Amino acid sequence: MAKKLIELRNVTKTYDGSAVVDNINLYINENEFITLLGPSGCGKTTTLRMIGGFEKPDSGEIILNGEIVNELPPYERPINTVFQRYALFPHLNVFDNIAFGLKNQKVPKEEIAERVETALKLVSLPNFAFRKVSNLSGGQQQRIAIARAIVNRPKILLLDEPLAALDLKLRQNMQYELKEMQRKLGITFIYVTHDQEEALTMSDTIVVMKDGVIQQIGTPTGIYNEPKNRFVARFIGESNIIEGIYVRQNLVSFMGVEFDCVDIGFEDGEKVDVVIRPEDLDLIDPKGAKLVGVVSSSIFKGVHFELCVMVQEKEFVIHTYENKPVGQTVGLRVDSYEIHLMKVDKE
Amino acid sequence: MNIKKLGRLVVPYLIWMCVLVGLPLIIMVVLTFLKSNALDLSTAEFSFDSWRLLFSDLTVRTALKNSVVNAGIATIICFIIGYPVAYIVANSNFSNKLIILVLTVIPMWSNSLLRNNAIANLLSERSIVNDVLNNIGLSFIWPIRGVFYDSGFSPAVVIGLVLTYLPFMILPIYTVLEKIDKSLLEASMDLGANKVKTFFRVTFPLSIKGVTTGIIMVFLPSFSGFAIPKILGSGNLVFIGTLIDSRFMNRNYNFGSLLSLVILLIIFGSMALIFKVDKEGETLI
Amino acid sequence: MSSKVLSLSRKIVLFFRRPKVEKTLKITISIIKWVFFVFIIFLLYLPIFIIAVQSFNNSQLMYDFTEFTFKWYGMIFQERALRQAIMNSLLIASLATLISTVLGTIFSIGIHSLTKKRRQKMVLLNQVPILNADIVTGISLMLVFKVFMYIFPDIFGFTTMLLAHIFFCLPYVILSILPKLSELDDNLYDAALDLYCKPATGILKVIIPAISSGIFTGMLMAFTMSIDDFVISYFNTGQGFDNVSIWIYASIGRQMSPAVYAYNTAFSFLMIALLIVISVRSSLKKRKNLIRFSQNKI
Ligand SMILES: Nc1ncnc2c1ncn2[C@@H]1O[C@H](COP(=O)(O)OP(=O)(O)O)[C@@H](O)[C@H]1O
Ligand SMILES: [Mg+2]
Repeated sequence: MAKKLIELRNVTKTYDGSAVVDNINLYINENEFITLLGPSGCGKTTTLRMIGGFEKPDSGEIILNGEIVNELPPYERPINTVFQRYALFPHLNVFDNIAFGLKNQKVPKEEIAERVETALKLVSLPNFAFRKVSNLSGGQQQRIAIARAIVNRPKILLLDEPLAALDLKLRQNMQYELKEMQRKLGITFIYVTHDQEEALTMSDTIVVMKDGVIQQIGTPTGIYNEPKNRFVARFIGESNIIEGIYVRQNLVSFMGVEFDCVDIGFEDGEKVDVVIRPEDLDLIDPKGAKLVGVVSSSIFKGVHFELCVMVQEKEFVIHTYENKPVGQTVGLRVDSYEIHLMKVDKE
Repeated sequence: MNIKKLGRLVVPYLIWMCVLVGLPLIIMVVLTFLKSNALDLSTAEFSFDSWRLLFSDLTVRTALKNSVVNAGIATIICFIIGYPVAYIVANSNFSNKLIILVLTVIPMWSNSLLRNNAIANLLSERSIVNDVLNNIGLSFIWPIRGVFYDSGFSPAVVIGLVLTYLPFMILPIYTVLEKIDKSLLEASMDLGANKVKTFFRVTFPLSIKGVTTGIIMVFLPSFSGFAIPKILGSGNLVFIGTLIDSRFMNRNYNFGSLLSLVILLIIFGSMALIFKVDKEGETLI
Repeated sequence: MSSKVLSLSRKIVLFFRRPKVEKTLKITISIIKWVFFVFIIFLLYLPIFIIAVQSFNNSQLMYDFTEFTFKWYGMIFQERALRQAIMNSLLIASLATLISTVLGTIFSIGIHSLTKKRRQKMVLLNQVPILNADIVTGISLMLVFKVFMYIFPDIFGFTTMLLAHIFFCLPYVILSILPKLSELDDNLYDAALDLYCKPATGILKVIIPAISSGIFTGMLMAFTMSIDDFVISYFNTGQGFDNVSIWIYASIGRQMSPAVYAYNTAFSFLMIALLIVISVRSSLKKRKNLIRFSQNKI
């Protein structure tokens, strides 16, 4: 059974009168890889900094192992951080950077050497101990920053967009390596990113944030398949969102047509938002199709084509393996279990 | 950095500045409305004499004129010489840091009064340079020390001011020129401007910040100094600084303070100008 | 007529465009440039050179070079008043540099941590002593210290001069350090705390070493400004506490002992030597690191 390691209760942080983090509730289990996901400026870094002890919440509690740690300074928390632009110490070489935390904890010299070496091996940079950090590439600096944090064997590792500055290929490799590292070390990772793909590939749990408010907490598949509102649906992957009405159980109406559906929890006649992922729409013969439209554009995306189909003034995005020429009339089909219904946002 | 906590470190500095910048300002303003023997408040009385004198005294007018003329000419010459020098250094392949040190810091390790005294010696009828040159059959005689024209212009004083304050023109201009992104110039050339056009349309406008600072850093000390006019003007020339000095030495703090406030007014104007072009003060060093 | 001028000017332009001519022109310009540059340096150093010549002159007369001699160098510490002035100058400059470097570093860190608006205001305030005319600074400080005299009657002299020098040195230190601070990663201090430094240790172990070049520049500026100052010292001294500048000012027009030229020349040379030693040592250190690194690679 997973054990609760850290918990945020009604945590709020305001800057200049506006709430940057607004009444957040969240708990994180041991060994979990949890990701805070949201657009830039939504308060992810601030949340992370409160967990790390660099900022104090204005109200609410941060509970670590059952104790309130609001007042505990960073240097007394069993937590280490990989900062956004690494924050390596420019006047120290790689070895001294990594050994910095250990030295401050008065770890014996021989042990420091040993642990630094192990850490360097873990990030695949053995033999780099005496390099100057300013001469390293971005990817290497990144690894040193990770080594500098994990060498202290923290309970929790905080990572603030650690891969944002790397190019695509390197980023994908590092995603995999980080995930491996987390599994091997058994450390809880709290990871911040604005990249939904990254969040989906790496996380056990994703926390979607917007304007300092948590929108949804769930597993990657849960969040992808069952977004709670328009924001989450749009932010996590592409989706077609259509206004509809929940006619009665197992029946929803949109675009003037009625469809079977499986989602429950709405009142008869309630307005709902219907989400259909582009890959869940199939092209069929227009004859007998419930939705009929005209292809308005087609882009080759490598594996699939991305078609835009105009159905009664509404544009549908569809991912398909077979191309259709622009101007052709097509029919659209969707399976009942791939129609996802959401409460309508009040925005 | 952790904003609220470390920001507190500024408080002592603020207090220090308030006491040493704010307080004297108040004292000076008060002094201008008094007639007192130095700071002796027991005999002080309320008086507008200083203000009346400021607008009626001919010496003040002459001193202001002399100061403005010589400082103005020195500033212009410093700019004409200093800009190209800064430009050459900024675009040279040598170690810029070393050249800048040679141009600015090292001369200042020689006492500035002594340096001006040496210039005075050079510009006298009999100078040690001429004496040395005589040995190899050359001669250099240019006796302009103490010479001045009706306008108040004194070539010797201007030479002294230029040689003393030139580094203060070079340094800020160099600082901005060095920071200009070279790709901007390439972009300008790429867009069809030749070297001369690029200079006037890109480089120069971008260096205005440093030029402003440089002009102020040369003009203000030239305008308000009193040692250089004394040494190179042979005491024939009254500057505003000379006047302030003599008033304070004669324990007339009232008029001295008023004249200082006049200078301060000019300085605040300059600071407003600098703050406009350079908010972070990066050209001052 | 105008077309003639036009064609002539075109001819001139074409002439200068010819590769050979263009090359010669380029060389000529670069020669002019360097001649000008060297000439300006010559002018800047001419007074210093004259002082040096005077320091080797056997005669006391400023215009008569009789014989080459080192005797004035031996005289530097013979004359009581001059010796005292030199001691005072060096003492004040060293103390003012030390104190303003320490305080300036602390204040800079404080200013850097302020919000942008407040920081700009502090920078503006910090510029006051730099931009202010020396005479106004000198008089302002004198007035304040005169008021302080009601409480501390004996401050004029060493104390006031030291305080005054700290006052105008601090801004230079702060201005040299601030840009270094803004070059740092915003999270550097947090990273130190994260790695088990207490706040003060974090500043000592991480921030200060990372801005050390700025601190050094500030120190150099402070010392230079302090040693060369005349006006502010002049207004803020008392009880016969003269520094070199004041001593020189008092001797102008009278027969000045050539020992002061010797002092000036010797001091400049010592400072240059010191600077060379420091820079050589720091580059040696860099080389050492490089060697360590390359050995490690093998
Ligand atoms: N120290 C601060 N002072 C004032 N506003 C801040 C501060 N730190 C962050 N903010 C503001 O809080 C909001 C959230 O910032 P942040 O947590 O960094 O977002 P994210 O990491 O999600 O991009 C932003 O609008 C930012 O401007
Ligand atoms: Mg962020």
